[in-house]
Amino acid sequence: MRKFRLKPQSVLLHAFLLCFCVLIIYPLLIVLSSSLRPPGNMDSPLLLFNQFSFASYIRAFEKMQYPKALLNSILTSGASVLVIVLFSSMAAYPVSRIKSKTSRFLYYFFIAGLIVPSQMVVVPVAQMIGRLSIPNNRFTPMIMFITCSLPFSTFLYAGFMKSVPVEIEESAYIDGAGLWTRFAWFVLPLLKPATVSVAITQGMWIWNDYFYPMIFVTRRDQFSIPVVMLQFLGDRENPAQWNILFAACVLCALPLIAVFAVMQKQFVTGIAAGAVKG
Amino acid sequence: MRKAYSSLESLRGLCGLRICLAGSRPFKREVNSVKSRAKRLGLNSLTFPRRMYLFAAPALALFLVFWVFPLIQMFFYSFTNFNGINFNYDFVGLKNFVNIFKDGTLGNSIRNTLVYTIVMVGASNLLGLAIALALNSNIRLKTLFRTCCYIPALFSAIVVGFIWSYVYMPRSGLLVSLITLVGGDASKLNILGNHKVALYGIALVEVWKGFGSTMIIYLAGLQTLDENLLEAARIDGCNEWQLMRLVKLPLISATITINVILSAIGGLKAFDYAFIMTSGGPGKATNTLMFNVYRIAFNEQLMGKASALSVISFFCIIIVTVLMLYVMNKREVEL
Repeated sequence: MRKFRLKPQSVLLHAFLLCFCVLIIYPLLIVLSSSLRPPGNMDSPLLLFNQFSFASYIRAFEKMQYPKALLNSILTSGASVLVIVLFSSMAAYPVSRIKSKTSRFLYYFFIAGLIVPSQMVVVPVAQMIGRLSIPNNRFTPMIMFITCSLPFSTFLYAGFMKSVPVEIEESAYIDGAGLWTRFAWFVLPLLKPATVSVAITQGMWIWNDYFYPMIFVTRRDQFSIPVVMLQFLGDRENPAQWNILFAACVLCALPLIAVFAVMQKQFVTGIAAGAVKG
Repeated sequence: MRKAYSSLESLRGLCGLRICLAGSRPFKREVNSVKSRAKRLGLNSLTFPRRMYLFAAPALALFLVFWVFPLIQMFFYSFTNFNGINFNYDFVGLKNFVNIFKDGTLGNSIRNTLVYTIVMVGASNLLGLAIALALNSNIRLKTLFRTCCYIPALFSAIVVGFIWSYVYMPRSGLLVSLITLVGGDASKLNILGNHKVALYGIALVEVWKGFGSTMIIYLAGLQTLDENLLEAARIDGCNEWQLMRLVKLPLISATITINVILSAIGGLKAFDYAFIMTSGGPGKATNTLMFNVYRIAFNEQLMGKASALSVISFFCIIIVTVLMLYVMNKREVEL
C-alpha cells in the first residue's frame, strides 16, 4: 500500500493548483449557468445554477439553424482532414526518403509556409478562386484549410517517417511491391501516431475557424457553426440577448468537448507528439 | 618476459586493427564511393527512385497555386493603387509604403503586434511551464487539473471572444460584478475601452486560451527526463530550486524553443481578438498588423496599401522568427 503522508508543501501545491483551475474555469461556469436561464435574465450573474430553463437554448438553436450548421461543419472539417492526411503524408514520403538537394529544398519550401499569416494573402487567393471559376459554396474554404495545414502536417509526417526503418521497404521491394503499395500498405500504417496527431491538431483549428468560411461562403444555409456565431456580434450591446448568446456559445463548443471527452488520451499525446517530433 | 608479453599484446592489437581495416571500414568506404559515383552518373535508386517525387505533386500544386502565387501577386499589388475590385489600376511606385509610414499605421501596428507577442509569449510560457512543473511532481487528480487547464483551448476564437467580452464588459460584466461583490468600486472599470490597457486585455485572452496546449507540451518534455540524472543531482546536494534551474530547464531546452517559437508565430499573426472584441479600438490601440491588413483591404478597399503593409509584415515576421530560432538554438543543450 502506498503511504500518503500529508506534507505541508504538497498540501500547498494542491491548494494552489485547485485555486488556479477554478480561476481558469470560472468564466466557463458563469457562461453555462447563465445560458440555463430564460432570455433577458442577467441579474445577479454570480449566482451559479439557480435556474433551469431551456428557453435560451431553444432560441439560440433556431437562430443558428443548428442542425444545418453542424452538418456543414462536419462535412467540411471531415473532408479537409482526410485530404490533409493523404496529401501531406504523400508529400513527406519523398522528402524524408530521398537524400538529395532537391528533397531538402522541398522540405524547407513547405516549412516556410508555416510562418506566413493567411490574412495577408486572402485577397489574391479570392481572385485566384474566381479566376479558376471555382464556385463559392460550403466546400470552397476547404481549399484554404488544406493549403494552410500542409506545411505543419508535412513537417510532422517527415519527422515521424525518419523513424520508419528503410529495411522494411527494401524487403517489400524485393517481394515485388510497387511504390504505391509500399507507401499505402507498409509506411502509412506505421505512421499512425503521426496521423492521429495531424488529425487532431489540424481538425481542431479547422473546426473552430471562422475566417475562411466568412470570406468564401456567401449563402446563409451553407455556413458552418463558427460563422453562424458571427451574427451574434451585434447582440453584445443588448443585455437582454446575453443568455441566448451564451446558449449559442455552449452549443458551438459542445461537439468538440464531446469528442475531447471520448478521446482525451489521444488529444494529449497528439498535441505533445506534434511539438516534440517537430 | 614482460617485453615479450607486451609485444605479443601489441601484435594482437595490430592484428585486431588489421581485421578491423579489412572488415567494416573499407567496406563502408566502398559503399560510399559507389553511392557518390551513382550520384555523379545520375543513376536512379531502385528502392527510392526519383519517380517518388510524384508523391509530393498534389501538395506542391495546392501550395504553389493557393499560397506561393498569391504571395507573389501581393508583392506586385503593393506597388499599385488596386482597390480589390476594379482591374484598371496604375503603378504608383513606393507611394503605398510612404503612406503607411507617414500616417503612422506602420509604426503603430508593429508596436502593437510586438507588445502583444511579447506579453503572450512570456505569460503563456511562464504559466505553462509553472503548471507543468507542478503537475509533474507527485500530484493527485493530475488528469483533472490538466483537463481544466486545457479546456479553453477547445473553444473557437469567436466563442472565447464573446465570453471575454462579457468578462470585461463595463457596468455589468463579470469582472465588475466580482469587484463589487468584494466591496470595491468598479463603476469606472472599462478594460477594452481604455487605450492604455486594451491591448494587454486581449493578450490575456489569448494566454487564457493558449497556455493549456503549451503546458501539455512542457509536460511531455518533462516526462522524457531521465530519473537517474535527477537522482544524481539530488545526491550531489541540489535543492529543488537548483534542480529545476540547473538540471531540468537545460534538459528541456528543445521543448522551450519549440513552445516559444510556436507561441511567437501565433502572436505575430494576432488577429482574432482585435477583430471580435475591439475592432482595433479604442482609437488605434489594438490595431495589430494582421487586423490592419484586413481592415485596409476589406473596409477601406485599398488593396495596394494593404499589400504594402503585408509585404512589410512578411519581412518583419521572417526576421523575428529567424532571429529567435538562431538565438534559441544556440542556447540549447546537447546531451
